[in-house]
Amino acid sequence: MPSSQISRSLVNLIGTLLRQPQSAVGTILVIFFFLLALFGAQLAPYPNPNDQSHDVRQSPTLDLAKLQLGEHPFGTDRLGRDVYSRVILGASSIFRIAGLGTLVSVVLGSALGLFMGYQGGWVDEILGRVIDATLAIPALLLALVLVGIIRNLEFEAGSWQAGLADNVVLLVIAVLYIPIVARVARSTTLDIKTREFVAAAEIRGESQAYIIFCEILPSVIPSLVVEASLRFSYAIFLVASLGFLGFGARPPSPDWGLMVNENRGGFYQLTPWALEFPALAIALLVIAVNLMSDGIRRAVQKGE
Amino acid sequence: MSASDRPLLDVEGLTISYRVGKCWIPAVRDFRLQLGAGEIIGLVGESGCGKSTVALALMHYLASNGRVESGGKLHFAGEDLLAKSNADMRRLWAKRIKFVPQNASAALNPSIKIGKQVMEVLKASDGIEGKAGYDAMIEMFHHVNLVDPERVAERYPHELSGGMQQRVTIAMALISNPELLIMDEPTTGLDVTTEAVILELVRDLIAQRDTGVIYITHNLGVVAQLCQRVLVLYAGEIMEEAEVHDLFEQPHHPYTLGLIRSVPKPGESKHDLRLQSISGNPPSLTRLPGGCVFAERCPLVVDICRSDKPPLESLPGERLVRCHRWEDVTPTLNPSRHLYGGHPIKREGLHPNNTPLPSLRGKGPGDGGPATLMHVTDLQKHFPVAPTVREALRRIKPTPIRAVDGVDLQLRAGQTLGLVGESGSGKTTLARVIIGLQERSGGTLELLGMDVRNSVRERSEDVLSKLQMVFQNPQNSLNPYLSVWQAIVRPLIKLRGLTPAEAEAETLRLLERVNLRAEYAERYPDELSGGEKQRVAIARAFASEPDLIICDEPVSALDVSVQAAVLNLLAQLQEEHDSAYLFISHNLSVVGYLADTIAVMYLGQLFEVGEARELFQPPYHPYTEALVSAIPVADPKQSTERILLSDNLPSAQNLPSGCRFHTRCPRKIGEICETDAPPWREGEAGHLIRCHIPLEELEDSQAGLVLAGGSEGAT
Repeated sequence: MPSSQISRSLVNLIGTLLRQPQSAVGTILVIFFFLLALFGAQLAPYPNPNDQSHDVRQSPTLDLAKLQLGEHPFGTDRLGRDVYSRVILGASSIFRIAGLGTLVSVVLGSALGLFMGYQGGWVDEILGRVIDATLAIPALLLALVLVGIIRNLEFEAGSWQAGLADNVVLLVIAVLYIPIVARVARSTTLDIKTREFVAAAEIRGESQAYIIFCEILPSVIPSLVVEASLRFSYAIFLVASLGFLGFGARPPSPDWGLMVNENRGGFYQLTPWALEFPALAIALLVIAVNLMSDGIRRAVQKGE
Repeated sequence: MSASDRPLLDVEGLTISYRVGKCWIPAVRDFRLQLGAGEIIGLVGESGCGKSTVALALMHYLASNGRVESGGKLHFAGEDLLAKSNADMRRLWAKRIKFVPQNASAALNPSIKIGKQVMEVLKASDGIEGKAGYDAMIEMFHHVNLVDPERVAERYPHELSGGMQQRVTIAMALISNPELLIMDEPTTGLDVTTEAVILELVRDLIAQRDTGVIYITHNLGVVAQLCQRVLVLYAGEIMEEAEVHDLFEQPHHPYTLGLIRSVPKPGESKHDLRLQSISGNPPSLTRLPGGCVFAERCPLVVDICRSDKPPLESLPGERLVRCHRWEDVTPTLNPSRHLYGGHPIKREGLHPNNTPLPSLRGKGPGDGGPATLMHVTDLQKHFPVAPTVREALRRIKPTPIRAVDGVDLQLRAGQTLGLVGESGSGKTTLARVIIGLQERSGGTLELLGMDVRNSVRERSEDVLSKLQMVFQNPQNSLNPYLSVWQAIVRPLIKLRGLTPAEAEAETLRLLERVNLRAEYAERYPDELSGGEKQRVAIARAFASEPDLIICDEPVSALDVSVQAAVLNLLAQLQEEHDSAYLFISHNLSVVGYLADTIAVMYLGQLFEVGEARELFQPPYHPYTEALVSAIPVADPKQSTERILLSDNLPSAQNLPSGCRFHTRCPRKIGEICETDAPPWREGEAGHLIRCHIPLEELEDSQAGLVLAGGSEGAT
């Protein structure tokens, strides 16, 4: 397997990312959020997100000038929960859902796209039409419909559990992004399969699976990496949007989108910080991932 | 040479650098040139030697990462170009200095009609517009022999063939009557027939004007046929400059000699001699050697070459040479050919050289020669065309594209069948059908007496291992993510069933066979040069011990010096393994060198089949005659009367009736050519020609065109 070649290019990629100021900022921020997601429970002052033992509606004690966090850096919400802890704890769910959703869609989508592109013919034609049709539907609308259908099914089966909500969103991301990733993988495959090394493999009588995964896939990976980073940023946005609209995580989970939703309207007057900090976290993460994926795209294009 | 007091272009001590990271790398050093009006100077060298850089610098048109170092002199008609601003230069570019690029299709704007583009040039150069401009353009189109100029003007670039596009760019360059014309490989991407036409055109047009031309090419044949003086460039330095006859007669620099010697001459054959090749690669510009830049690859190298840089010496007869040992080059030239290891082959019972020719019409083996390996009968490949809406409504089935239309071939073990023809004649499709990458539409294909299935997926491993292929483009034929080792070891395990340990030993042996060191096994394709990649591809093809290897233009993407080494390798491997080749090329000299039998293909059909040396002697099929006459021979003394074909290849969807060649045939005898398919006529030694003209008549009228067995003949 060409693993050494790929790891070599990965090292190159990270090097290129850190050399450009914008992508360096993005990459560092993404790594920062990723560490929060991993070690949130250890970093948060109050590891239980539903710890309501504090006084309600305390103002943020964060002092940027003195670099002091204070008792409740982001204040407390109307139920007396520490917003700072909840924002830190929320990172893990958004990374898990958006990250896993992206991973699933990239793995399945690229397998589908590679297959379609290499196979060609009527298989490609039919699957291609289906993909085109899915892409014609606005993503958020489709997400809402899917969430609705899945919940309904589960509700009827009587197996509704709050913890499943996350997996529903994950599934929605996968369903939404598989066709998009498949299209990218397919178009790159169409280019690669005309190269003569693929013909040389066919002349050796290699199996279709060998040709797709050992000969074509390595050359498709660069464009898949670009697409994956782009999908990831959209996935974060989608998770937050669904949470905000009440179709994602359920209260009292410390989901950023949900926190924004819970603290809007009349509550915003009372505890603006309970809305602003999770909103800021969403914005920062989305911008950071975008900067990083921009850098990845530039690095990959330069490499070609 | 029109030696006026002041040359048109006077260049002295020009050094051109490119910025790489933070450093400036001198890509061309101490370049000099004097070009008179009406003179054609050829600039030759391998790729990466700085030819195009010189061209751009002479126009003062370097990219922003390039610059001309101070201290050089670049005078055009007495004016110092280096001192000129961009705005001043733009005026010069519009009118007095013109450029013809290699890739005409990329140089023309695809979204603007030809006529408009050419008239824009005229407006910028001479301010001529409207009717006067149109008339001038049509006249110019007549000069460049564009058929039906009014209609050409109305077309978009993609509607013209490559040759016609190049005529348009030449017309664009010449329409303003420039004083200096720089042509950067204008015929490299074209067929040999089209190339002949364009060269003829350039020669005529320049003869009528006082334009000075700098003609850049890697093809010495083109230089020999076109230029008056030649500059040989290597690694950014002038190696030699001489008048064209002197250069070919007595090259003083070993590099020039190597370039001349590495091109097979028509009539030279693998049975008689190995080609001479220059080993190694040009030095990296960032690590230039202290002494002579050519020392690493030079067969005459002595200590002084590595320590002291040779000066550019002036020799009598207006020659320049940069070599410590130029006096030793001359004597080694004539009597022997040993300088670059090319040597005549003593063959005593090595290979039966006088085996009877495999005949076309299924006479079968049994006359003492090697067994028939492959037998192709009436092979067809038709590509269906999707019907237009109107055709679909009327339920008309559109005529398919008949890329290969009834080809019969026989190939014997250990022999090479050369397949030649212009692009679009169906050579590559034929190869892909035989190898099984495309399914045939009809006909049979027998390999070693077994009927071979249509596509690779249906073929048994036994058949697969017996048929392999070497591809044209070394860039694409190796997977960039697999090491050399992985590329070669796979067929060993897959097709030969070796254990990993055996395969390892065998891989190293194969690498050694193709003259690559064992350490290459660990490298990836981007760490290899073009020639090295092609060697790996050849090793991979030989890995399964095939009986037949299809070589689809395996050397046409390589530099001449590398090309010679790869051809030698193919010839040598064939002798050792007794494998047969189906060798496809548009280059007749290359095919002539390697092939035992040659088949000439035109529009999906064969028109001539014969023994390789027969093919370079009359009688020829009129099409072969045109191909042979169009070869630019690297010998300025040998100028044949060229037979120029029009560059309108009929479409394979709408084939001409009768003889398919009649629309372009210079020897068309009458109506019979348009109505009846010509018969096969058999000449000596199984030489077959498909023509209405009897062979004796053809032979009589073609007596002048003998390329083999002449002064340079192989004996």
